[in-house]
Amino acid sequence: MVSLARKNLLKDLPRFLVAQAGIMFAVSLVTIQTGILRGFTESTTLLIEDSATDIWVTSENFVNFELTEPIPYLELAQARQVEGVRRAEALLIGSGRWYSDEGKLTTLRIFGFDPEGQLFRPGEVSAASLEALNQPYTAIIDQSNQRAFGIDQVGDTARIRSLPVEVVSITEETQSLVSSKFVFASLKNANAYVNAGFSAELTCQLGDNGLNCQNAYERAPETGAEALPAPGPLEADVPITYILIRAEPGTDIPALKQRLEDTITGTRALTQAELVEETRAYWQERTGIGFILGLGAVVGILVGIVIVAQILYTSVSEHLKEFGTLKAMGAPDRMIYGVIVEQALWMAVIGYIPGISLCWGLSTWTLASQGIIILITPVSAAGVFGITVAMCLGSAFFAIQKVTRVDPGIVFKA
Amino acid sequence: MAEAAIAAKAVEMVFRTGSVETRVLKGIDLTVSAGEIRLLMGPSGSGKTTLLSILAGILTPTGGRVNLLGQEITGLSRRQLARFRRRHIGFIFQDFNLFPALTAAENIELALKIKQRSTAEAKRLAAEYLEQVGLADRARHLPKDLSGGQKQRVAIARALAGSPKILMADEPTAALDSKTGQTVVALIQNLAKEKGCTVLMVTHDPRITDAADRITHLEDGLISHSSSWQTREVGGNGVIG
Ligand SMILES: Nc1ncnc2c1ncn2[C@@H]1O[C@H](COP(=O)(O)OP(=O)(O)OP(=O)(O)O)[C@@H](O)[C@H]1O
Ligand SMILES: [Mg+2]
Repeated sequence: MVSLARKNLLKDLPRFLVAQAGIMFAVSLVTIQTGILRGFTESTTLLIEDSATDIWVTSENFVNFELTEPIPYLELAQARQVEGVRRAEALLIGSGRWYSDEGKLTTLRIFGFDPEGQLFRPGEVSAASLEALNQPYTAIIDQSNQRAFGIDQVGDTARIRSLPVEVVSITEETQSLVSSKFVFASLKNANAYVNAGFSAELTCQLGDNGLNCQNAYERAPETGAEALPAPGPLEADVPITYILIRAEPGTDIPALKQRLEDTITGTRALTQAELVEETRAYWQERTGIGFILGLGAVVGILVGIVIVAQILYTSVSEHLKEFGTLKAMGAPDRMIYGVIVEQALWMAVIGYIPGISLCWGLSTWTLASQGIIILITPVSAAGVFGITVAMCLGSAFFAIQKVTRVDPGIVFKA
Repeated sequence: MAEAAIAAKAVEMVFRTGSVETRVLKGIDLTVSAGEIRLLMGPSGSGKTTLLSILAGILTPTGGRVNLLGQEITGLSRRQLARFRRRHIGFIFQDFNLFPALTAAENIELALKIKQRSTAEAKRLAAEYLEQVGLADRARHLPKDLSGGQKQRVAIARALAGSPKILMADEPTAALDSKTGQTVVALIQNLAKEKGCTVLMVTHDPRITDAADRITHLEDGLISHSSSWQTREVGGNGVIG
């Protein structure tokens, strides 16, 4: 059936295109802002979601995934005794500095885990890569950090603090956008890296001419891993960050959480979902980032509403006599509003498609060239489409107000 | 005598603009029989358009009653009036009021869509009526590509395609030259008679009076007299039955 809405829109093509450009802009703004927001919040929990853990036990002073207090390693053994616990593994999170071979300095976040374990996984890594982590002074890094770390390929070496490191595998999609660069190592290695402080490597000898000190920084580059003792197993009082728990099948998880908290004093147990949620909420709410990006998205929506409302209102004003004619001919209100709503929907669809395509192209480019994730998933794309439609329908409201007041009597006025 | 298609009783209209009151219609009694072609004539500002709007159920009078096709329309809600117009009344306007973005055929199809006809039937009727007004070859033309007379013929097809019982026309020839005007009026006359449609037509044009069964003259908000073309009967200010 003939569509007055579509024909009226297309009749003034240049103006229609200007309107579409405006909607495209609004769509892009919303997509990019929400995409960055989601890309960055989701990046903060990638590692949590990669792990096959039921419960995470950490200090009761927990704030977010990477901000919590350490607990002693010996509590891992305690956790294993708790009824309903099938497996328990330690996760150590620490920080340090990475020196590339060219001497470039980067702060890093190191994750120490049990390569033989089952609960923590740094992205998708092969069994062979995990096996390789058992060698002293080895690590896995994320692809997105290769450039910062000065690592071209597997087998390249660098230093973490004073200790050597060899990259044995490269993983991807693990890096949090709001954190230092991630490095993954075995518990032993990670512990060594974390504690490889300035003082530990300062070797002093009382010689003839007084105290003679030499620190690690001055060590000759060819002093390789071979010369160093391999890191030993963790002492009971070594601080770790999380105890990862896999429950026995059929265990009541809330009850198990309670038992863990009761058994290991000063700790808090979170399910994987809780850990994800609290970490994301922290970044979205407790930092200004979520607010600012959200504000950007809201501005996008408002700009879109203003543009669409303006176009629809002008269109209706210019076609007032046509609406009067429709009314005189007895067209039901439903049909008259339908014309405006249909115009709004056409504008939504025709503005959305180039808008989302633009963002999709842009996100591919920013990821490749800037390392910035603008997350556009089918769900978020559908969400933005929903917002676009709602935005256009909201704008139609003003135009409908105007049409409602049209006196069909105008049809007889010249 | 056929039953009345349009019957107005003591219709009054007072417009209020701020504190100024304008009494435009001062008690109009008018009856138009079914199938009749009635002209409404009178000087500019005498209230013809106002009366037509009231009789068509577009404007609500400040006094009096209007009965169309045996149904009292005074007091109906806005929605009910719209439904009544949709079902029973066809309109022809001085400026044609075609939808500029739609082709001749689409203009007619849209009017039929309002009357809730199916797409297929609307297409069929549009073609049929364009044929009847002699514009079968202009079906895909936009209004801007049609002459004034052709536009009004499309409007006539649009008004009649829905088979209305009453056709309301306000100065349908005013925008046309006199020869085209006469053709257009002849077309209205023929088609209306053929379909048994009652016509109420406002006009200034004395050359088209022979198309009418009866003429009502309006002067300063009152009917001055009505005349029947055939009998040349002249009445006073009142009802002509
Ligand atoms: N909405 C309105 N508000 C106030 N006054 C109005 C309104 N509509 C019409 N009038 C007044 O009513 C009078 C009659 O107007 P109407 O349009 O009915 O005249 P007409 O006979 O159709 O004139 P014409 O031949 O010029 O079309 C005029 O004086 C006009 O100014
Ligand atoms: Mg008039």
